[in-house]
Parts: sequence; structure tokens; C-alpha cells
Amino acid sequence: MLRKKVCLVGYGSTEYSRKSHRPLLSYYAEAMQNAMAQTGITKKEINGFSMVTQASPDYSPYVAEQLGLELDWVLNGDCGGAGAVCAIRRAADAIEAGYLDVAFIVAGNAFDKNVAHQRVLEYQRANYVDVYGYGGPNTLFALVQRRHMEEYGTTLEQIGKIAVSQRFNAGPNPQALLRAPMTIEDYLNSRLISDPIRLFDCVMPCSGGECVVVASEERARQITDKPVYLVTDAEKIGFQASNMLPDKTVTGMSVVGEHLFSEMSRDNIDLLAIYDDYPIAVMMQLEDLGYCAKGQGGPFVDEHDLTFGGDFPVNTGGGEISVGQAGLAGGMLHVVEALRQLRGEAGERQVKAAETALVTGIGWLSYARNLNTTAALILERRS
Amino acid sequence: MAGKSLPVVNPVDREYWAAAAKGELRLQKCRACGVLQFFPRAVCTGCLGSDLEWVPVSGKGKVHTFSLCRVPRNRAFMDEVPICVAEVELEEGVRMVTRIIGDNRDQVTLGAPVTVTFMETEDPDIKLPVFELA
Repeated sequence: MLRKKVCLVGYGSTEYSRKSHRPLLSYYAEAMQNAMAQTGITKKEINGFSMVTQASPDYSPYVAEQLGLELDWVLNGDCGGAGAVCAIRRAADAIEAGYLDVAFIVAGNAFDKNVAHQRVLEYQRANYVDVYGYGGPNTLFALVQRRHMEEYGTTLEQIGKIAVSQRFNAGPNPQALLRAPMTIEDYLNSRLISDPIRLFDCVMPCSGGECVVVASEERARQITDKPVYLVTDAEKIGFQASNMLPDKTVTGMSVVGEHLFSEMSRDNIDLLAIYDDYPIAVMMQLEDLGYCAKGQGGPFVDEHDLTFGGDFPVNTGGGEISVGQAGLAGGMLHVVEALRQLRGEAGERQVKAAETALVTGIGWLSYARNLNTTAALILERRS
Repeated sequence: MAGKSLPVVNPVDREYWAAAAKGELRLQKCRACGVLQFFPRAVCTGCLGSDLEWVPVSGKGKVHTFSLCRVPRNRAFMDEVPICVAEVELEEGVRMVTRIIGDNRDQVTLGAPVTVTFMETEDPDIKLPVFELA
């Protein structure tokens, strides 16, 4: 389905740090303040608020109260790494329905002792995975990557090229915590964490926050002369959930891609912001989105230049594996990078003539499968 | 230091853990649609019905994928690394996340036949279904 009258009108980011004990809400607030400064929107004009989180000190209405917001719409975004993309979709639905015209969507992380990590029950993870001494998502992605390598002959060099290209992209990004140049040898020689996953496959948890502002077209035209339109969007939750012999290398993004590219040609996309908690996740999404056949992600990355000046720019700010993963701001980071590019605000790493971007979010690894939540947006700058 | 992770047994999976403690692997099967499923749930993933029974399975299967984990999430497991976390496809057509034990666990390959065994834990009432190379 094509969206008609929903725009992304601005964003705000905070500085990232390895470990900060600042209150989490101060990161939300700082990201919002920066978005307000960019857009000129005042607090009174914010009538929708979503907090994308899996570990906040309070529920979203309580957080809204602490921020002094009077709202017509509120949402606790709970789709994990796909949460930012999903919250933007929900906000777009509400804006199209006429319930509100300006929504601030925030996410962030801090090592805030007051944050109760509300791991609700996580029954299947707790009772049937953790008891075996697994290494968290590192092991769950290792189980996926092993299948991909054995089934399709994907090599560590091909997977590593994604990490190396993204590190190159992070070079000119002042927000990125990991900017030093990295070679494929550095990648291959990084220490094994849960084989075949090694250190430079893994995101680094950190503190930071991101905010994106979604508005009706009418308000967008008052707020900015650089409106970015939400063109189309889709999600798939629980892909293969009832299949006891699921295909570990195919994700819900295959369904999302079919929806998106029935509306627009994938060849019209100028840059991709692909959720990158691990390079193998990027490769599998490129396959599932139809940029190449399943299993051909390795040869595909061999044949393309993924850097911001290349023929197929992916994660032009370095992605989460270079910038750092500030909790679920990891998903928001990709939206913000796409907005920077489409608004021509990406500085040295600006992709030339960038008008259209694809942004994905993935999350909540499912038992013996892969991604429980998959979602994506196509964004377009229109003057 | 916190101990090694243990299941929090609940009414849905009590029978699974009780069987494992006796050295039996039992899975849920739907009487209505015949689906065999794992992990244990309140309902059938095939039809959303509640008419589930517990059936014994062979405990034989093949390695679908594995990882030798050097850095367990719960550091209490550090004394056992590398831990061979694996997914095993049972003969009956269901996959389980598990562990492959034994000194030959570094020789695990995809498709290797494995057999279930039951590992003692810090809780005398809980035994974990794990697998060995057959």
C-alpha cells in the first residue's frame, strides 16, 4: 500500500559513549531537544509520542508525564530491533486516520541503574536456550551463519566485507564509536566469540539516543523545506513460527520485500540502511529483499562496492556495528542516517543525488528460527 | 556469583521436565491436528487448540547447525567452554536447541547423527536433555 500524506520532518541524535550512567530519560530528552531545535517544533505542538524500548524505567504514558507531554496518541514500541520502523508505521497509520499531526518517536540506552530490564518472562529463551550456556544473540546468529556458510558456500571473507565496508563508512561519522580503519585481516583475526561469529561481527552496546519526527504532509510543509515522504512500508512478525522445520536462512524480510517492491522498483533505491546487528543479517536481508537470489549474498557483496561512494551504498554512517548499539536506538539510527542522506546533511559521507532510501528493522530472535520481527520503510525526498 | 541458568518450571512444561528427570524425552502432540511441537506451549501451533498430549520420542536425530560458544551470556558457564550449542533435528521432524556434550564435541558436523542423554544440573530435580555424537 502506498502512503500518501505522511512525512518524516526531522531527527535528533545524542552523542554516544561506551558507558554512561546518565538517566535513560535524559537521552530521550536530549534527542527530542535536538529534533525540536532542527524542526522548530515546540513542546505544545507534539501530540504523539512513542518510546521504543525493551528496558525502560517506566511505561510510555508515565514517561510522557515526566516529559510534560499532553498527547492524543501514545505507543510503547515493543518490536525489538524492528521497533523504530514499526513505531513509525503505527504513527503513520494514526496520522492518516487524523488522530494527530506531529509524533516524536524516541529510543535510547544508558547503563542506568534505575532501568528495570523488563524481561517479561522470555519463557522459550529462559527455559529452552539459556539453560544450555548459550552466548546470547552471538550464538543465535552463529547458528544461522553456520547454515548459510554450509548450504551456500558463503565465506568469511564475503561476510567480513560487509563489516569492513561499514567501518570505512564510519570514518567520517563523528557519532561512531569505532572509526579506525579495519582490514579484512583484522576482521578474520578478531577473536572467536561463538564460532563462526567473531568479535568484529558483534555490535557494541553503548549509551545514546535517537529521535525521529513524523508529521502529516500539511504540517510537514510548514515545518521544513526538505520533507521526506514515507512512500510504502510493511512488516512480518513471527515468520515460520508454526513450522517445526523452519528454513534458518530465510527471514520474514522476504515477505516484506514482496510488499515493498510491488509498489516501487528496487532499482530506484539510492541507498540502503539495513539493520546490522551482525553482517550475516545484512547479507540475508539483501537476499530476502530480492537484490539477489537466496544464497547468492556472498557473490553479490563481492561484486558491489557497499561504501557511500560505491555503486550500492549500504549503511553509509557505519551502521550499528561501527556506531554502537544504544539499545533500540540501534533501529532508529538507520532511519536517522537515511534522513541525513536524503536531506543532504551527511557531510563527507553524502551519497550523491540521494533521493530514495530503504530502511529495515529486525528483532527478537525466535526459537530455532531467525528473526521474529522484520519491517521496512521506503523513504523519498520530494521538493 | 549467580549459578548456572535453570528453567523456571511452569504448568505448561512441568511434564516435560518431569519426564527428563526420569531420562525420557517427551514432546507435545495435538490430538486434534496431529502436530508434534517443541518447545512446550499452552496451545497447538498448528490449530491453536488446547487438546495436547505428551508423547515419547526416539531421542535420535541429526545436527542441523551448531556453534562452539566461548563467551556464554551467563558467565557461570565459563568453566565449560567451549560449549557446543546446537540445533538437533529429531527423527520425528521437530528441531530442538540443545547442547552436544563429550570430548569429541569439536568434531561435530552438520548432519552428524546424535542421541539424547540427560545432564545433571545444580538442581537435583532438573536434568537437561543434551545430545552425544552417535
